[in-house]
Amino acid sequence: MDDRISRIIIVGGGAAGWLTAGVIAAEHRIDSQAQHPFELLLIESPDVPTIGVGEGTWPSMRATLQRIGLSETDFVRECDASFKQGTYFRNWQTGGGQGDDDSYSHPFTVPTDYAEANLAPHWLALTDAPQFADAVTPQTGLFADYLAPKQITTPEYAFVVNYGYHLDAGKFAELLRQHCTEKLGVKHVMANVSQINAAENGDIQSVTTDRAGDIAGDLFIDCTGTNSLLLGKHFKIPFQSRQAILFNDTALAAQVPYTEEDQAIQSCTHSTAQTAGWIWDIGLPTRRGTGHVYSSAHISEDEATAQLLAYIKETAGDKAAAGLVPRKIPFQPGHRREFWHRNCVAIGMSSGFIEPLEASALVMIELAAGMIAEQLPPTRDVMDIVAKRYNQKFLRHWDQIVEFLKLHYVLSARNDSGYWQDNRTAASIPEKLSEQLSLWRFRSPWHQDAGAVDDLFPTASYQYILYGMGFSTVPRHTCSHHQDERQRQASELFRKNAARATQLRQALPGNRELLNKVREFGFQKL
Amino acid sequence: MSQYEVLNKEKHRHLRIKTGYGAALGDAVMYAMTYPTEFRDIQSCYPILFTKDPNTGGFFAAAVLGFEPDQNLFLQDNSWDASYVPAVLQRQPFLIATGGEGDNESPVVSLDLDHPRVSQDEGEALFDAEGGATEFLNQKIALLDKLHRGLQHSRGFIDTLLKHELLEQITLDIAFNDGRKESVQGFYCIAEERLYQLKGDVLESLNQAGYLQPVFMAVASLSRMRDIIERRNRLRL
Repeated sequence: MDDRISRIIIVGGGAAGWLTAGVIAAEHRIDSQAQHPFELLLIESPDVPTIGVGEGTWPSMRATLQRIGLSETDFVRECDASFKQGTYFRNWQTGGGQGDDDSYSHPFTVPTDYAEANLAPHWLALTDAPQFADAVTPQTGLFADYLAPKQITTPEYAFVVNYGYHLDAGKFAELLRQHCTEKLGVKHVMANVSQINAAENGDIQSVTTDRAGDIAGDLFIDCTGTNSLLLGKHFKIPFQSRQAILFNDTALAAQVPYTEEDQAIQSCTHSTAQTAGWIWDIGLPTRRGTGHVYSSAHISEDEATAQLLAYIKETAGDKAAAGLVPRKIPFQPGHRREFWHRNCVAIGMSSGFIEPLEASALVMIELAAGMIAEQLPPTRDVMDIVAKRYNQKFLRHWDQIVEFLKLHYVLSARNDSGYWQDNRTAASIPEKLSEQLSLWRFRSPWHQDAGAVDDLFPTASYQYILYGMGFSTVPRHTCSHHQDERQRQASELFRKNAARATQLRQALPGNRELLNKVREFGFQKL
Repeated sequence: MSQYEVLNKEKHRHLRIKTGYGAALGDAVMYAMTYPTEFRDIQSCYPILFTKDPNTGGFFAAAVLGFEPDQNLFLQDNSWDASYVPAVLQRQPFLIATGGEGDNESPVVSLDLDHPRVSQDEGEALFDAEGGATEFLNQKIALLDKLHRGLQHSRGFIDTLLKHELLEQITLDIAFNDGRKESVQGFYCIAEERLYQLKGDVLESLNQAGYLQPVFMAVASLSRMRDIIERRNRLRL
């Protein structure tokens, strides 16, 4: 019997389903006439609305879109997308207050010359230094000024400074659907899955739908969101809660209109800490997207709503806040114990979800789809080996997300609520993170801390959070002969960085200005 | 700043235009926009490359005159050291503006009153004592007309080059005799390898549109690069 994997069924539309379809279809030519035909079919429920997971992407999205064959101009125009250069954190360290500037940035650009030089110890040695991120990259000043990461003459997907996107997830799914079905040969069935049919060996043989009959396949990809229809409901793969570490379990989302037509558009995510969570604020060309993500154990819904509305009033005026009713999205922070089981793999919220801090939802979909596309098992025989590796890898990714997000809370000195105090209790901190923090008191994270080549968060990101939040690394004094020379080189890099920042500030257009030009003229391909 | 006005017999009756060439007359430019129907004249003197309009990102063809901003290696002692001067420089300070609205857009001759060539007392007159256009002005108008049609033809040319992926980026890394190095970026040239792979029907369509000859002229023009490097080497900086 031919056990070749030639028919892939994706259950669920939304960004997860269509992004996965796009990445796989771009890698494997769909051709039913070929000697070994390959088919990709996506079943989308006409009745289940999609939750817009993650309206922020990482820079990796540029390569993903390019791989799928979408033009950046079409993407920006169709998805109401804007350019994102990182995250600006407010009130995370002390909670701000009168005249206290509690803010720092996590830019997408790694520190200058990061491959060869670790600037952190030299920055720590400076007295009267600018903030860490400001000293080591020119990018923070650019997004502080609402500037774009490139010019209209920069080819599509290329950059002057590294960037990802803010986007409308619903429109994104729509564009991907159109591209997948029209250009990449993905078949699209609108139907509800009513039953999952097991084969003798325990695999999924087919799914029964309400208006398209039974649909059989060799590999089933579960993109059914929190329903987790295949992996969770059918295979009963247990869910592992991470709430003991990351408390947030509810989001209140609200769209905020711009007060003026040509108002500047943020080119980074703003994240403002509250008493029991934080508020996200992203700028799309047509509106802002805001939301309060919090721990329901630490604050009531009414109070959380009041904090969100107060934030909107403060940043957009009373008129914008009047009559706004935020949409409530409860969620369970955590993930499945296993993501690929037998001939079924879950991608997106069906595999897990953790609060949107650091916007890891879409990048996890990109990584999952990428790994499946690249390592698609040729036969059922070897599928279990690929599945095992996939599970190990994604468990590592989830662990790292949990640890990296927790870092933001552990480093806070806020004492104004039980939420912040509970976040620092030893029992709530993963062991690996405590160990890292112990080491980093004596030396800064750098290449030696890179666990694997496919680390989700690079060590530079740890530097930005640690030193942005005032973490202190005090080196043991080993008198190096090269000490003075290195410090001189570092000073030179700091100086070069400041000069580059000035130069870029003059050369780059405003985020809105560039977006308008993309709408009018588009980017060139080269 | 520029101050554009539609040319008007009454209003501009006494204006004069300074002729000749020089940095003070606005000729110190690193490149000059050109268009396919001018390529035959351009390629005999200058390399033809392509670059982007900083305002729109759109491509246009350019005759390269120097290696850094404001450097024109063909300007010498108030003269132009080449047998042909690009039309976009010859036509200064005049330009074509499109008047009217919607479908009635018609080209009208305009000029930039702030251009250094515009003078009250020096240079060529635009109108004679009876208020008729002078021979000088008529020549400029004829030139503008040619330029206007050439630039319109150029749009289809550029679109076609992009459609067939016939442009590729080049960085000019040049070491001059005096030891200085220049890395000139932002320029594109004809992708020769892809050009030579074009098949019969594509070649025929290019030829019919009048695009094939200028493509090869742009390729051939790169031999002029040696000349401008030599000019740069002779400069005493």
